[in-house]
Amino acid sequence: MKTKDQQGTSTVTSPAPPPPAPSRSNGRPLPASVMTPPAPPPPPHLDDYRNIIGQAQVDTLRFLAKDLKGKTLKMVNSTAVGGGVAEMLNRLVPLLSELEVPTHWDVITGGNDFFEVTKAFHNALHGSPYELTTAAQEIFLMYNEQNRERMRFDEELVVIHDPQPVGLIRSRHTSNAKWVWRCHIDLSNPDAKVWEFLRPFVEQFDAAIFSSQSFARQLPIPQYLFYPCIDPLSEKNKDLPESVVKRVCDEFGIDRSRPIVTQVSRFDRLKDPVGVVQAYKLAKKYVDCQLVLAGGGASDDPEGAVVLQEVKEAAGNDPDIILLDLPPWCALEINAIQRASTVVVQKSLKEGFGLTVTEALWKGKPTIGGAVGGIPNQIIHKLTGVLVHSVEGCAFQIRYLLTHPEYAQRIGVSGREHVKENFLITTNVKRWLLLFRILSQLPTTH
Amino acid sequence: MMVAHNSIAPNPRLRKPSKPFYFNTSEHLLRIERQKAATLSDLLQALRTCPEDSIFQHTFRTLQEHHFIRQGFSNDFAHWSLSACNEPVLGEQLASVDVREFTAIEGLRGRMVEIVDDFLESHPRAGSRPGHEPFYFCASDIVVLPTTFVSNSLAGFLDGVNQVSVHSIHHHFIEARLRLHCMSNDFSQWLEEEVGLPAAADSIERIDIYTSTMEGVRRQIAGIVEQVLKQNGENA
Repeated sequence: MKTKDQQGTSTVTSPAPPPPAPSRSNGRPLPASVMTPPAPPPPPHLDDYRNIIGQAQVDTLRFLAKDLKGKTLKMVNSTAVGGGVAEMLNRLVPLLSELEVPTHWDVITGGNDFFEVTKAFHNALHGSPYELTTAAQEIFLMYNEQNRERMRFDEELVVIHDPQPVGLIRSRHTSNAKWVWRCHIDLSNPDAKVWEFLRPFVEQFDAAIFSSQSFARQLPIPQYLFYPCIDPLSEKNKDLPESVVKRVCDEFGIDRSRPIVTQVSRFDRLKDPVGVVQAYKLAKKYVDCQLVLAGGGASDDPEGAVVLQEVKEAAGNDPDIILLDLPPWCALEINAIQRASTVVVQKSLKEGFGLTVTEALWKGKPTIGGAVGGIPNQIIHKLTGVLVHSVEGCAFQIRYLLTHPEYAQRIGVSGREHVKENFLITTNVKRWLLLFRILSQLPTTH
Repeated sequence: MMVAHNSIAPNPRLRKPSKPFYFNTSEHLLRIERQKAATLSDLLQALRTCPEDSIFQHTFRTLQEHHFIRQGFSNDFAHWSLSACNEPVLGEQLASVDVREFTAIEGLRGRMVEIVDDFLESHPRAGSRPGHEPFYFCASDIVVLPTTFVSNSLAGFLDGVNQVSVHSIHHHFIEARLRLHCMSNDFSQWLEEEVGLPAAADSIERIDIYTSTMEGVRRQIAGIVEQVLKQNGENA
């Protein structure tokens, strides 16, 4: 079944209200199989990863954990569900505990006023303009103080995720723990006033962790690099039987007998979906292919709906462009679409780390990425993928990869190895164990 | 099996090793250092003053991080000179530095400084041109760990080589010369000193790490040891 917009999209000239339900580009409902969230599967055990990373690497994790036996760790963040940090902790905490490094996960609480302030801080730290008021500072400090009084810090290592709970460091003098600040956001160009407000808290930690070298700040404490990671056993990344890939493609009208170029991302201008359509159209003058733009954000975000409309207009009436606005629980469908793809594109104009790139590389797909944010950490140009800087460059690489399958396969293989070495959850478990071990050997300075 | 240039001369009878070979591995935690370079002149300055740990990270250690790439990746300085500064001549010159020619980091630092210095003398304008992205100096905290493999015989050694992680191969084969302070590696040293196999030790030492993945290096080492075992009538 094709999913084309038969109405013509050029008539829509103003922002449309959010559509009532996730939909294909033509507003027809998605297949019933994706309309309700599936029950979450139980988290995997360490031995489940043996076939992926090898016995030697599993042994390494056990050796590292052995010296930490009896020591405990606390993770603190601001949300138990939703968002990449919670998703990562949901996988990390059971694995660390299985390695006999008991890991407690605590979530700070706060009113709407607190989370409005922290969201504004988040945007300001990413460089958006923001006027830091005394009232905002007081709200931030008050909720941090409330949480600090509520929580105990009896563990040997306390990890504070992101800026929201950073004020908990004031409990440092009451504990014997080493304290680490794990910053998941890009601090390369922060609002100066917000950063100067937060910096005195950060400087009290024993160490800070960033997701990319370029995200770090000059600080008087050691700074470590922990790349974000994917779980190879999650719904989005686990191996799939061919029958599942076929079913999903059939349901979405994707023709597997012809090359498939895919970008998976929210309908967000920073992901440049219109640029991807333009690149596809340039490439299609030379090679036959379909374009799948699969993402979300258009159903619950007014700006996403506007961007989707812009993409529809760019797509015109090309029957080989398939736009899928999927609900957030469609991990398995995304997995299948990525696996069915011949080439995966992530032509972002600005990016955090770009976990969709990691996902594509893990599936061995030749991947084209915009040379922004954390993408160059993953794509080593012409070795583990290809980097592009323009629509024209992207179009050329689509043509090249589709017409040079041996080269495409070679970089796909290297890309998967790069992920296996650096960007899997098991590598992050190893990083946490190493950090815990290294910090444990330092004298307590407070 | 890529052992054509490494065929082994017949060895004397195998000795029973008096000391077992303990397979260890090293794990690294990456630190972000304070120094960064926006231009090649900055790079030269930082190369002169950065900690030895950083030189190690961007040369020895980066080989381990990219062990799966057969060609085209040598060290981070070469990669940045080419990809960010678009200086292929400098990139090639830096990439040609074989870390295994050095038994101390200072010598390796000196060679890198010399190459960049010479290049900037002959290409003075290149020094101030900003790269597409800065070079961020990093370093590693290193933890050495045991593995489950300990060999008391050549057959057991072969088993260990085949089963340990590539990190362990890197630890014994590439990083070892910084520990040993000589142009050798742990495998060759043990084979020569404990098992009496100087020819096999020499063949292993001559394996080219820049045209092979670390898995390929492992296979070549295993191939050399298998050949010796066959020559001596033991089962590989």
